[in-house]
Formats: sequence, structure tokens, C-alpha cells
Amino acid sequence: MMNIDSYTHVRGESVYLDDIPLVNGTLFASVFDSPVAHGKIKSLDIDAAMKMPGVVRIFTAADIPGENQIGGIIADEELLASTHVHFCGMPVALVVATSDEAAKAAVKKIKIEIDPLPVITDPREAKEKNELIIPPRTFQLGDTTAAWTQCDYIIEGSTATNGQEHLYIETQGAYAVPQENSAIRIYSSTQGPTQVQRTTARVLNIPMNFIEVDTTRLGGGFGGKEDQASAWGAMCALAAWHLKKPVKYSLHRMEDMRMTGKRHPYSSDFKIGLNKDYKIVAYEVTFFQNAGAAADLSPAVMERTLFHCTNSYFIPNVKATAYSCKTNLPPNTAFRGFGGPQGMFVIEAAIAEAAAALNVSPILIQQKNLLKTGDEFPYGQIAQSEANECWDKAVNLYDLQKLQQEVDAYNNNNKLSKKGLALMPICFGISFTKTLMNQARALVHVYTDGSVGVSTAGVEMGQGLNTKILQVAASIFSINPERIKVNTTNTYRVANTSPTAASASSDLNGKATEIACVAILQRLKEVAAEEFTADISSIEVKEDCVFVNGKQTDWSWNKLVQAAFVKRVSLSEHAHYAPPGIWFDTTKEKGHPFTYHVYGTAITTVTIDCLRGIYEVDSVKIVHDFGKSMNPIIDIGQCEGALVQGIGWMTMEEMLYDKEGKLKSNALSTYKVPDIYSVPKEITIHFLETEKENLAIFRSKAVGEPPLMYGIGAYFALFNAIKAFNPAANIPYDAPMTPEKVLMSLYPQTLKENK
Amino acid sequence: MDTTNKNEGRRDFLKKSTALAALTIASPALIKAGDNDEKIAAYFEKVPLELEINGQAYKLSVEPRVTLLDLLREQLGLTGTKKGCDHGQCGCCTVHVDGKRINSCLSLAVMSHGKKVTTIEGLAKGEELHPMQEAFMKHDGFQCGYCTPGQIMSAIGCIREGHANTAEDVREYMSGNICRCGAYPNIVDAIMEVKKGGKQL
Repeated sequence: MMNIDSYTHVRGESVYLDDIPLVNGTLFASVFDSPVAHGKIKSLDIDAAMKMPGVVRIFTAADIPGENQIGGIIADEELLASTHVHFCGMPVALVVATSDEAAKAAVKKIKIEIDPLPVITDPREAKEKNELIIPPRTFQLGDTTAAWTQCDYIIEGSTATNGQEHLYIETQGAYAVPQENSAIRIYSSTQGPTQVQRTTARVLNIPMNFIEVDTTRLGGGFGGKEDQASAWGAMCALAAWHLKKPVKYSLHRMEDMRMTGKRHPYSSDFKIGLNKDYKIVAYEVTFFQNAGAAADLSPAVMERTLFHCTNSYFIPNVKATAYSCKTNLPPNTAFRGFGGPQGMFVIEAAIAEAAAALNVSPILIQQKNLLKTGDEFPYGQIAQSEANECWDKAVNLYDLQKLQQEVDAYNNNNKLSKKGLALMPICFGISFTKTLMNQARALVHVYTDGSVGVSTAGVEMGQGLNTKILQVAASIFSINPERIKVNTTNTYRVANTSPTAASASSDLNGKATEIACVAILQRLKEVAAEEFTADISSIEVKEDCVFVNGKQTDWSWNKLVQAAFVKRVSLSEHAHYAPPGIWFDTTKEKGHPFTYHVYGTAITTVTIDCLRGIYEVDSVKIVHDFGKSMNPIIDIGQCEGALVQGIGWMTMEEMLYDKEGKLKSNALSTYKVPDIYSVPKEITIHFLETEKENLAIFRSKAVGEPPLMYGIGAYFALFNAIKAFNPAANIPYDAPMTPEKVLMSLYPQTLKENK
Repeated sequence: MDTTNKNEGRRDFLKKSTALAALTIASPALIKAGDNDEKIAAYFEKVPLELEINGQAYKLSVEPRVTLLDLLREQLGLTGTKKGCDHGQCGCCTVHVDGKRINSCLSLAVMSHGKKVTTIEGLAKGEELHPMQEAFMKHDGFQCGYCTPGQIMSAIGCIREGHANTAEDVREYMSGNICRCGAYPNIVDAIMEVKKGGKQL
């Protein structure tokens, strides 16, 4: 089924936050943010700004009636800085004016004096100074200390992965419209409407039931609007509440890039031990997560790094420790993969390093250690593995041997151009790792004309969630999909929503929708059973008609609905779904946190230009575990899109802060994301369809995040291509592998001599 | 630099220079009101603009600094054209001026005086979609949809310019339109299909 937003998308009629028609008298907001990464505010001068044309009012921390606090997991982040600033871009004041231009012009007139304090940008330095967001955590399996004695080879090393700007093409924003009795409606570009509602309630000191958050769709989220959309909602609401006027703030791209957090950069140390059969016996890893200046979602991201530290390998002895390090950067946040990719990069680097030391192909080590069903993850869950199935299928279907031979032949025949090939298996756990967040609700109404309205807790952001929700309702009721409308996500219709994140939203909201539709259908069948004096088990509703004992009756869906209404039978249902069987005990760091895992294998081939360091990704050939895809068009799109984003993170997207904590890659001109020209020339995706039961909606496995990690394969393919040119190259495990870094790795000697 | 003085300087300059011009071109009624410098400045800070947008003629009065993008979105309510970066780096705001694709965020509205502008809203004939719109639907050439209007306008321009003979060509000449969701393979397929269809766009 085609994406249900297709028609409005291609006509430019899809409504995003900045397209909502404005209420008369709407005012516009803009933030004055800190120019300094760390310091004590000495003075804030807003007088000149107040005199600017069109300025209505300027809000500071002193104007907050409730708690000046937006921290979700830990209360450590102010909405507007009161006494100290902790990162460049930290909001200090909110200017509200009669136009967007007037607000932005006035922001430039605000003057601030700050007594600087020491700035930390490096997570290892933060750890040394004991600047930690939460105490460190350690996941352990077996006993690594004892296991080292059983290892024939022990290899150690360090890695670094940089952050990543979300660059949702629709920037952050909110629009708050006051309602009667001091209630507020907030249109928000958020993945977490309830998070906006909760934060605003806290800031304004009003109950949550007075705050309606409504989201039609996002122009991209990728995790960046999971927690970090709340500030803008709360700010607009703060101004609207004081002024009794609608207030809108749609961030400029550069404001957005400067003020919001990104994917967490990590710095890591590893020690890996193997036996003579290339089995990994022991693995120790320490992660230093660059959390930025406040917790935001960092503790949860750090947790997922630990969950995925062994990727899709079984290692009997593991000790993984993670530190969430507090630095003076914007608080880093969720980004597709949520810490998982950072954990998986390190084990892949460890395997690459081991392979180089033992002079074998990393593919051999990868293959020998793939997870099997029944193996235990370091966190105690027992694997239901498809790792070998995906791997073997990829190797055979795409003829790995031939691909490798082609690469070798090319490299033998070309001096200044080299190819590299790498395999990247993935394993990603589905569910929020915080068990309580795994719940969702759906509200389904059947109207008397037979049409259906569905509201859920999920937010549509391009991932096709609403299409899948509609498919669920159409399938259960067995009616024409055109009779169903999926409505905006609204906290007045569906309350206490978990954010649309963790790849789990189709499962959670789809199942809630399924439960609601089944309940309504059951009542409708009772009506039909009475009418036809038949047993309810003999009643079926199929293709808009009522069937009794397999025979079509003259009752249509419409007639059935009308009959039920006349009999005063409820045509509405509000359903709740919480996946069973998941739990996690943080005191032991053991449990069964995931409803299931998603597996896959990608074979990536690249070509590098050994004179310039530039490169192309020739092909990525994937076998991906979809379970039983309920919408292959959408799922392929998710798979390709995640892959491209993962390749971007690993190759060209270079986020740069200077020592003073100022973002240098602060626009699209200085931060390169994959364009249509730089995506792989060939992407092939094979669906590994499995018949096994799982907890996914209609057995169609989650697909949002897992394929992002195929992008790690591009890094190691480039790594191997450099090795093909210069086998002695000592390539640091430092992602992204920009063309500049490729060039430096190709000619380390020249680099040394020039230093 | 103190931006206050700079802005005031600009306004003062306008008042003085336009007062002179006013003597020659403004209506007598306005010269009478010319005692009030502010009114004259305001008058001359807006310029007349006549253009055609999606087949409809407009007679407008706009500030010279207003971009075509802001004119479309903020003043005419044509919100199908999107603002992604406002610096000509993402391609979201692509529209056609006299049939050629441009970034409307990098173009001042006044530059389109006397010209024909086509936005995403002007492509379909009622319910009947433009072939490129059809192709994007058929090939799922989007995910979140935010960059889609710009992609479609740019894609039509790409074919008109003769830059869509091969998939390689399409990649090169569509590289100014960013899709962060990464729907690129499908976008290439959609454009190639329209190109092969051979319809005059």
C-alpha cells in the first residue's frame, strides 16, 4: 500500500508546523542564546532590544511561573539560563515581537556579560575531572579477567566516532495558542507530544489537562525531536500564557544547528582476546560518551550502547563499562540508533584490528563468532537469532567470493585507484530499554456512515507509521482503506504517549489499534449474530460485507454499523497495549529488555581515488530480517534511508566544535550530508522473510533504526581500500572517514615528514 | 559593529534620498504629506511588483528586501514551497521563474517583476497531477515529504534543461536538493521514468 500522505506530499498540500494558518494577532518569538560555552552571567541588558520596532516583550528566567526546568530523565537543564550558561547556544532570553524579522533583529541588540569558566569539550577530560551525568554502568557476562589466560591473541586499541547533526529538513518549532480558562493549545514539531505537554506544565505550573499538544506530521525527526522539541513548545507557551496571544517560533536553520544537541560523539578503549580458532573469547570495552552540558536522553543512549556492544556476535566473556561525560556542548540527544551504532563500531574496529594483527580477513572472524539461537547476550537475554541466516544468505545470494575476487583483480590492475569490501552484520534490540515506556494507546471511532477515524500516540515523520496504522484498521475491519482516516496526534485524544522512537512505534501503536478494532468488530458481530440468529463464531465481516457461515448476506458494513448504532451499541474503543514479557533489572544489569531483535548483513564495496582521497560507494548489498513485512514499499524506503544516513555518519558528516565549544559546522555549507550524488550507486535489499512468531505488528519487524548500522560497513570498506594501497597504513579508528582522512591515511609517511 | 546605527543609517538614507526622488515622481498628495518623513520612507520602502504566479496575475506592494520565498509563503499563503535553510543550500524552496528552476530563498521578490512564477501548487490541473507528481507517487520518492515540492520542481527543471539523459546525469543535476530521509534511489527512478515518457514538461 502506498504512503497515505503521497497525494498531499506531491501537491505541496501536506501541512507542517510552519504551514499552519496563523490566528489573527499571532506574535513571533526568537531566542537569544549564550555566545559562551561556560560561565556565570554577570549582566543581561535587554533595554536596547526592548526599544526595537515591533518588540512586545522579552522573557527571561525570572518570568517563569513554575519550574525553570526541562530535564526529562534528570532535572539538570534550565529552559532559560538564570545564573550560569553551560554551552554555546544555551537559551538565555526569549524575544517576542510582531514579526519574525523584528524578533530576530531585537535579539541582536541584547547584550550579555559573562564571567568565563573552564570549558570542557572532550569526554575523556570530563571523566578525569569526574564530571559525569550519572555514575558509570557495567554490563558483564562470564569473567574476562580469568578468560584472558585462555586467549591465544590479545589485541587492544582505541576508537572515536563523531557526532551527527540530525538535519531534519523541517527545523524545530512550536506554535502556542491560548484557549479559554487559561488553557493552551500547542502545535509542535515533536516526536513526543506528551513530553512537550509535561515540560510545559512544569514550566507554567499548570496541570497537564490544560495543555493540548497537537502534531500533524514532522518534516523529519530522526531522534532530534524526541526530547529537544519540548523547549520550543514550553517557550511559546510561556509567552502565550503571559501575553494572552498566540506565539509562534519556527527556528532558523542556523539557530537550530547552534542550539540543539546531536548524536553523541564517543571515545572508546577496547581489549579483545581470541583463541587459535579465531573465536572471540573475551572482550572488554570502555565507552566515554560525550553527553554535552545536561543529561537530556544521554543515560538511556549510554544504556543502549552497552546493550549493543557485542553487535551480532556471541562472546562468552564480556565486560563493558560506560561513562556519560558532562561537557560544555549542547546536550546531545537521541539519533536513529540511539547509542547502538556507537557500541557496534567499537567491536567492528576490534575485529578489524585483530584481523590485521593475525593477518586474516576480518570476514573470517566475523563469521566465526555470529550469534546463534540460544546464545546469551551480555545483559542476560537469550538470542532468537537470524544472524547466521542473514549472513549465509548474503554470502550466497550476492556471491561474496566473486565480489572479493573482483575487488582483488581491480586492485591488482589499478595503482592509483583501489577498491575495498566489508561485511557488516547487525543485531538491534526492539523496545524502549526503559520498560515502562513500552505502552501505547489508540482511539478508534466508527461513525454512523461507516467511516472510521483512528488516533494513536504515534507521530508520523516520514517513516510511514500512519500508513501502517491505517493498514491495521483496514485489515481488522476488512473495509476499503479509503474509508479510514488517521488523525493528528493529540494529547487530548490520546494521553500519556511515549515518544515516537526506538523503532517500536508501529508495533506499539499498531497493536493498540488492532485491539481497539477487534473490540469494536466483536460488538458488531454480536449485532449481526442476533439479526441472523446465528452463532457469533459463524459471523464474518469481509470486504465491506457481512458473511454468515461463509455466505454473503445483504448486509453491508454500513448497514451493520447503522444497526449497531440503533441498538445503542458503542462504535468507539480506546485500547491500551503493553508488550508482554519484557523486563530489566538495573541492579544486576540483567533481564529481557527487548521484545525481539532485528538482524541483517550488508556487503559494501567502495572505490577510492588514491591521489585525491575522494571515494565512491559502489554498492551495498543487503539481506535484512523483516519478519513478514506488512508494507514492503515503506520498509525498503526505511532501509535505504537509514543506510544512507549511516553512511553519512561514517563518511562525510563531520561535526566540528572548536576548543571554546563553538560549533563550526553550523550550516549546510559547512556540514555535508549525503546528497543524491553521493549515495551508493547500487543498493540491493533482499527480504529475509521468516515465519517464526514474534511480537511485531502482523509479524512485520521494526525497521526504523537497524539498517542505519549497515553504514558502518562503508567505513571498513574504505579502511580495506586504503590497506590495499598501503598495507602498512596505520589507520586510526576515527570516524567519519572523510576524504581528507583517507588521503592522510594513504600517505602517512608524507604527513610525518611534513610535520 | 553597532547594528543599531547601521539600520538607522539605512533608514535615514532612504528618507533623504527618496525625498529627493519623491519630488520628481511621487504624487502631489504625497508630497504634501512629505512633511512627515516617516510616511515617505515607508512609501518608498515598498515597491510595486507585478507578476504572474501559477497563472494568476498579482499586483503587489513589497519591501525590496523580501525574498520570493517569503513573499510566497508569508504574504500569499502559498506554503507548498518550503523553507529549509534560507541560504540556498538545501533546495527545498525551488520554484520556476519563467520556466527555469531557482532557489526562491536566494531570489528577491522584486527580481520576478513581470515574470511568470510556478510553484508546486501550480503544477496539477485540478485533480489531474503533473507527470512528475505522478511519478514521485508511483516510485515513493519521499518519506517525510518536506523536501518533495522542491525535489519535484527541480526535477522538472532538470529534464527541461536536458540534464536527465542518464541516471548519472540526474544525480549530478539534482544534487542541490537534499532529502535527509534518503529517498534518493526512488527520486532517481521517478525522474528517469518521466524522462523516458518523453512528455513535454
